[in-house]
Amino acid sequence: MTANIFINGLQYLGYILIFPGFLFCFVCGMLLTGIDRKLVARMQKRVGPPILQPFYDFFKLCGKETIVPAAASRTTFLMTPLVGLAALVVIQLFIPIHGFSAFSGMADIIVILYLLLIPALAAILGAAASGSPYAGVGLSREMVTIISCELPLVLVLLAVAKTVGNAMGTGLCFSMSDIADYQVQHGSLITKLSMIPAAIAFAMVIPGETGSHPFDTAEAETEICEGMHAEYSGAPLAVFKLSHAIKVLTLTSLFVALFFGGIGTGLVALDGVIVFALCVIATALFISFVHAVTARLKIEQVFKYYWTVVSGLALVSLVLAWYGM
Amino acid sequence: MDFPFIREAVVKLFSKPSCNNYPFTPREAAPNYRGRIVFHPETCINCNMCERVCAGGAITHTSVKNEEGDDVITRSFDLGSCTFCSTCADFCTRHSIELTQDYHMIGIEEGDLIVSGTFIKKKPAPKPAPKPAAPAAAKEETAAPAAPAVKPRGDGKPAQDPDKCVYCTICARKCPGEALTVDRKEKIWKLDEDKCVACGTCADVCPKNAIVI
Amino acid sequence: MFQKLIAESAAKSPWLFHINSGSCNGCDIELVAVLTPRYDVERLGFKLAGSPRQADIVVVTGPVTKQSLNRVLSAISQVPEPRCIVTMGSCPQSGNVFKGSYSVCAPLSQYVHVDVDIAGCAPKPEAIIDGLAKATEILKEKRGRM
Repeated sequence: MTANIFINGLQYLGYILIFPGFLFCFVCGMLLTGIDRKLVARMQKRVGPPILQPFYDFFKLCGKETIVPAAASRTTFLMTPLVGLAALVVIQLFIPIHGFSAFSGMADIIVILYLLLIPALAAILGAAASGSPYAGVGLSREMVTIISCELPLVLVLLAVAKTVGNAMGTGLCFSMSDIADYQVQHGSLITKLSMIPAAIAFAMVIPGETGSHPFDTAEAETEICEGMHAEYSGAPLAVFKLSHAIKVLTLTSLFVALFFGGIGTGLVALDGVIVFALCVIATALFISFVHAVTARLKIEQVFKYYWTVVSGLALVSLVLAWYGM
Repeated sequence: MDFPFIREAVVKLFSKPSCNNYPFTPREAAPNYRGRIVFHPETCINCNMCERVCAGGAITHTSVKNEEGDDVITRSFDLGSCTFCSTCADFCTRHSIELTQDYHMIGIEEGDLIVSGTFIKKKPAPKPAPKPAAPAAAKEETAAPAAPAVKPRGDGKPAQDPDKCVYCTICARKCPGEALTVDRKEKIWKLDEDKCVACGTCADVCPKNAIVI
Repeated sequence: MFQKLIAESAAKSPWLFHINSGSCNGCDIELVAVLTPRYDVERLGFKLAGSPRQADIVVVTGPVTKQSLNRVLSAISQVPEPRCIVTMGSCPQSGNVFKGSYSVCAPLSQYVHVDVDIAGCAPKPEAIIDGLAKATEILKEKRGRM
């Protein structure tokens, strides 16, 4: 009995620290960001940094001195990056990889939706604690960006939940592991025509959530001296960059899990590789390509875009799903 | 909304980047590039024209007398003050200053960016004693142009002071009427009166102020 | 071992911060040209940081004018250690043609310790890449000593 609990505990610890947990997030998230930077450079006819560049950035930042400005509140300034990182790792634990989910039955879509808000809030709190006017401008823009991305996200998740719920006869199905199992048996959700607008809407939410062109007004380098992270340096900044990288991984793997969940074999290791490859393709299309061909939008344009075009697409999917198509 | 660069982004993704890969492939500067200064001290005559015309005030010299009474002159070019306009090289009549194609000028310690050269300027040979003045006969003699004392001639045309003149030939080059003949080796300075228009350019450009109008 | 990893990374990912203390913009144009596709210094890990707190190498151009002196020094003091200060062009080294003017406080080396001087007016982008490569070596040494 106790041996069972012990082995279970060790297994859970392994999940948290290694497989869909901290180490996996660290390595894969940084690789995705590196691939993104390299692709953007290639599209601009440059050579671009090596793919391992985000690792070098991270370790270099760990070695820099941390300066806390005099006008900042010290504890909040230093603790909020860690809170954001913890929330992101927890989300990654709940996302299924082709039918294998580490903590199945423990969390569902609503929890993921709530947890996705925490890293952005942590960045906002950190910026507010730093006491700089540039950070103030950055954080107000980030708040508007979060609000504009929440609506389409909720509509997409409702549409997916309703589709799976219809098929399983339970009304609305919010459990991630149920969605994964449904796709393993019946094929990916992307093959249903009514899900395609939802997939496109989610694909447009990804650059907004990760703060990539053309929606990166919150962290506009040239305009407001890096915006939210203006006063950060050293190890807290390294944690912020890491959480940005993991956010890319989380959103793209959520996209793959919701819409392409039927692709894969039964082996967990091979599935991990396949899902990672799909994440790379998603990053290349929705983050790098969009970065390379667009310019930065103003904050009111961002808000208008998300609440009209993207929400419209998600609403179409929701209506189609509600009427059982 | 308009996305003009979609096709370009996709095409460039699969083509070779247009980077010239600098630190790994060496690059040469363009043919007449004005880069690091190279000074040939053996041809310098210390006319100091370069110091006068330098825009950034980058050229200085120090002069020490050695045992034989010669001047040991060290001329330094501070690349940290230089505008690389090449005016010094243009004005140097001896071509002792050259701006090469070398563009790697990185200074880490104090003296990294200073180019200097030393040369010895021999004492001038002692001049022969001046001839005694001709007896003041009634006959007027035409004034010899090579009188040792320097007095203005009064007609606007130049008179040379042989003590100060170093025969650098700048006056001959600048003369618009080509009225001056100056030979450095034979130490000759000759004015052609017919061609001289009394403009005063030679006196303006003489670096030693050896011409009096 | 971790320290060695950090020192190696410091040389592979130096972030630049550019301060223009009154220059004619010739050197600034050459510096930005270094980030364009032809010279592409990002393949060596360089990136323009927006805030001095996130920078490793500070590149200063322009003769330090009287009006900008305090602001330049304040921005430089916000850069965390280990850091490297690079003066670009002959203006911050000695004032160049503006020497002796009532409003110019060059050279910069009398106010802060300058690590690398890149001479030229304006220096060629290849010379700038040389100077920045030297600055990363100095950064690696400084990180190793910290």
